[in-house]
Amino acid sequence: MDDSQARKFQKDLNSGLVALVLLGVLERSSEDLYGYEIAKRLQRANEGEALFKEGTIYPVLRTLAAQGLLTSRVVPSYSGPPRRYYRITEDGRAMLREWSGIWRQTRGFVDRFIEGTDA
Amino acid sequence: MNAPRSIDDYLRQLRAALAGEDPALIQDALYDAEEYLRAEVAAHPDKSEADVLELIASTYGAPDEVAAAYRDTEAKVKAALKTPGPVSATAHPSAWKRFFGVFLDFRAYSSLFYMLLTLATGIVYFTVVVTGLSLSFGFAILIIGIPFFLAFIGITRVIALGEGRLLEAVSGERMPRRPMHPGPSAGWLARIGEMLKDARTWTTLLYMVLMLPLGIVYFTAAITALAVGLAFTALPFVVLTRWFGWDGDASVFSDDAHIGGWVLSDHSMISALILGVLGVLIITLLMHAARAIGRGHAHLAKALLVVPGG
Repeated sequence: MDDSQARKFQKDLNSGLVALVLLGVLERSSEDLYGYEIAKRLQRANEGEALFKEGTIYPVLRTLAAQGLLTSRVVPSYSGPPRRYYRITEDGRAMLREWSGIWRQTRGFVDRFIEGTDA
Repeated sequence: MNAPRSIDDYLRQLRAALAGEDPALIQDALYDAEEYLRAEVAAHPDKSEADVLELIASTYGAPDEVAAAYRDTEAKVKAALKTPGPVSATAHPSAWKRFFGVFLDFRAYSSLFYMLLTLATGIVYFTVVVTGLSLSFGFAILIIGIPFFLAFIGITRVIALGEGRLLEAVSGERMPRRPMHPGPSAGWLARIGEMLKDARTWTTLLYMVLMLPLGIVYFTAAITALAVGLAFTALPFVVLTRWFGWDGDASVFSDDAHIGGWVLSDHSMISALILGVLGVLIITLLMHAARAIGRGHAHLAKALLVVPGG
C-alpha cells in the first residue's frame, strides 16, 4: 500500500517535470537525439530507482514537438523502425528558461517547509 | 496479463491495452515502443530477447502503463491543439449565422484548397500505383524484382503517411504521425510475404487509384462552383461600373459584355443583383460542401490507409 501511494505521488509530480527535463536534456545536447538515447541518458543520470518509466517520455516528446518546442526528423535505422531525432527550437529554449524559473521558485518554496530551515 | 516474452508479444499486449483508442494513436504508440524495444535488444547482444523483455517492465514500463501514458497525453494534446470551430457566441446560433458562419471556419478554406489539390495528387498517386504494379509484375522474374517491389510498397507507405498528415491539417481527423512500422525484421522473401498478406498494403493501393477519379470530381466541382459563383457575385459591380462609365471606351468589356452567359445592358441592374445574390449563395454552398467533403474524405482515407492494419 505504501509503495503504490509513493508511486502515485511520483506520477503526479512527473506530469509536468518530465517535459521540463526533456527540454533540459535536448538544450544541453550538442547533437539531435532520438527517444531511446534520451531514455538511456536519463537512466544513467539517475542510477538506482528510475523516477519514471522510459515509455512515458515518448508521448511527451510528441506533445512538445506538436507545440513547436522541438523539431524532429526521421532517419532510417538498421536495428528497427526509422528513428525520430529531436532538437530544441528557439521557442523551446524560451519555454525552458521560463519553466526553469518556475521550478526553482517552487523548489525553494517547498524546501522551506519540509527542510525546516525557515518554518 | 502475462509478462511479455518477446517484442511481438509486447506489441500485441500494448495494442490490446489500447483497444478502443484512435487507430492513429495506436499506430504511434506501437511505433515508439518498437523503436525502444529493438534498440534495447540490439544494445544487449549477449542477452536473449526474452531476458531483455523481462527487464522492460521496470525500464520502459509494462504495456498497460505505457498505454495509460499515451491516453493521458493524447487527451491533453487534443485539448491544446483543438482548432476553435466556427465562431459561435451563442450555444444555438441562428440558421443565418450557421449558414454564413462557414466563411469564418478555417477548415472550409483548407478543404477547398484540398479539393483543388486532389487533381494533381490524384494523377501522381494513380501513376505511381499503375507504374509500380506493372513494373513489379514485369520485374518479378528478375533479381531486381524483389528490391523493386519493396521500394514500391515503401513509397506507397510514405505517401500514405503524407496524405494522412495533409488530411489531418485539412479536416482535423487524427491521423498517424509515424509511418507504419515495418514489422519484425526478417528475410526479404518473408517481408514480401508479410506485405502481400497485409490488408493495408492493398487498401493503400486502392486508395491511391481511387484518388484519380475522386480528384477529377473534386477539382471540377470546386472550379465550376468557384467560377460561376464568383462571376455571378461580380455581376452587379460590373453593371455599376458601366452605369458610371468607369469601364471607359477601350474597356475590358465590349458593348455587350458576356459574363456567365449573361448579356449586360444598362437596364439589367435588377437581374444582375438577383444573380449576384445567387452567386453569393453558390459560393457559400461550395464552402459548406468543401467542409463536408474534407471531413468525409478524411474518414475514407482513415478507413483505407490506417484502420485495416490497425
